[in-house]
Amino acid sequence: MKKFVNDPKNYVAEMLEGVALANPGRLRYVPEYNLIMRTDAPREDKVSIVQGSGSGHEPAHVMAVGRGMLDAACPGDVFAAPPMDYVYETAKLLASPKGVLLLVNNYTGDRMAFDMGREMAEADGVTAEILTINDDVAVQDSTYTVGRRGVAGNFFVIKAVGAASEQGADMAEVLRIGRKVNDVTRTMGVALTACTPPAKGSPLFELGGDEIEFGVGIHGEPGRERRKIKDADAILDDMLEAVAGDLPYESGDRVALMINGLGGTPISELYILYRHAHRRLADRGITVGRSYVNEYCTSLDMAGASLTLVRLDDEIDGLLGAPAEVAARVF
Amino acid sequence: MIGNALPGAELVVRTIAETAIENEKYFGDLDAVVGDGDLGYSLARGFEKLLDGWDAIDRSDAGTFLKRAGMILASRIGGTSGPLWGTAFLRAGAAAGTAADLTGAQVVAMVRAAVEGIKARGQSDVGDKTLLDALVPLADRLEREFAAGAGPGDALRAAAVTTREAAEATSGMVAKRGRAAYTGERSRGSVDAGATAVAVIVERISETWQRQGATS
Repeated sequence: MKKFVNDPKNYVAEMLEGVALANPGRLRYVPEYNLIMRTDAPREDKVSIVQGSGSGHEPAHVMAVGRGMLDAACPGDVFAAPPMDYVYETAKLLASPKGVLLLVNNYTGDRMAFDMGREMAEADGVTAEILTINDDVAVQDSTYTVGRRGVAGNFFVIKAVGAASEQGADMAEVLRIGRKVNDVTRTMGVALTACTPPAKGSPLFELGGDEIEFGVGIHGEPGRERRKIKDADAILDDMLEAVAGDLPYESGDRVALMINGLGGTPISELYILYRHAHRRLADRGITVGRSYVNEYCTSLDMAGASLTLVRLDDEIDGLLGAPAEVAARVF
Repeated sequence: MIGNALPGAELVVRTIAETAIENEKYFGDLDAVVGDGDLGYSLARGFEKLLDGWDAIDRSDAGTFLKRAGMILASRIGGTSGPLWGTAFLRAGAAAGTAADLTGAQVVAMVRAAVEGIKARGQSDVGDKTLLDALVPLADRLEREFAAGAGPGDALRAAAVTTREAAEATSGMVAKRGRAAYTGERSRGSVDAGATAVAVIVERISETWQRQGATS
């Protein structure tokens, strides 16, 4: 597998350094803790919003730092939770009178690191809370989780709590909003190929030329089942059935619809999936109020896509529509 | 009153560290029966780090000292033991607070706080064949001894006996947490490594206390 890497050991550090160099005046890189933070964070009048998880899911989360989104991201190595002392130091650096909210995707390793980091920060007098994200409908328990995994839906939680905190909401309010968004968000992913971690140099698993992994996790871990590949619309139908049937999303609902690329799929294909999802939702009497077609939460170079739905109400819609600015941008 | 909080905390933490380092092989062998064999190594490396930075640990009060020790252990003991042992020290430190002197009841409250922290962090409880099966009987016995008016030396001596008995009793249990849980019924017939480590440590604390006491 050919990759643009130097020493795989430095993969994360060199990426983070690049992110900071590309965003002078906006982002600061603290190499000791793998930390990317806003230069104007922490603010006394704002709950600090922090997310961390393994690297390899970019633009989540280091490229989601910016106004109206995250105040900081604290990633671990590729597909590995950050060490608990990175979480602890991050919480201390981001400490605010209004508190620090740590967003955690539901994986056992991440939860342990963040629970422990939070407890250590609290022992130092830092107010910190944890919000767990678990939007994946594919499997109840997985290789890495008790309960459902946190995947691309984390974007919507970040966007909503980021907007709320920017508007001055206190911790209780920010937590309420984060939980509310997580509760109405559902995601399912499909892989066409495996991904290749830079330190490993070979694919994490093997998919036959005519196979897809239905319900794949963002580390390439197994989903519901291996299936034979079909055409795009038929695969999308299966994904939509799994996602829409879970909450469930019903006729009369307004939703945000996200088609997220897993890292190795051209955007053109994402729009082919989007087109069919949009039409199928209309068939069900569901209106798409907000659309998202891009890479938001990837799995290195995996070819594949995930579909996320968020049931909108005026409050969530307003927060998703609030102004924001992040490192991952095209202008 | 059982004496000055900070010297007592220092004596106990130092004794735990030295015991863990000296018993690296023994604890590892116990853990290898049905676990993954890393307990001895993990504890020894973590407590070595603690002793390496011993003089620099913040000693504003016993609570702060214990919390700092907990942070070092949480970060430096590998595997699941780090967060569990680290949490125990953190919670005990929080329970001790800024008290300059500790009563027997306060010491019991510290052990209870450590137990609750381990339960929460490990999502486990008494009967799962973990170190909790030694720690809870330890807390119960200390509480009874102090309530009956025993001094720290006598209370510790009694608690060490109880803790050892409790650790031995884990051999009749089936592991429900940790790597040993994967072996199911096969985990019956061998003692839990974590519980035995607690017993060895409490025995050593008791011996050390009889020799030195904490009111120095």
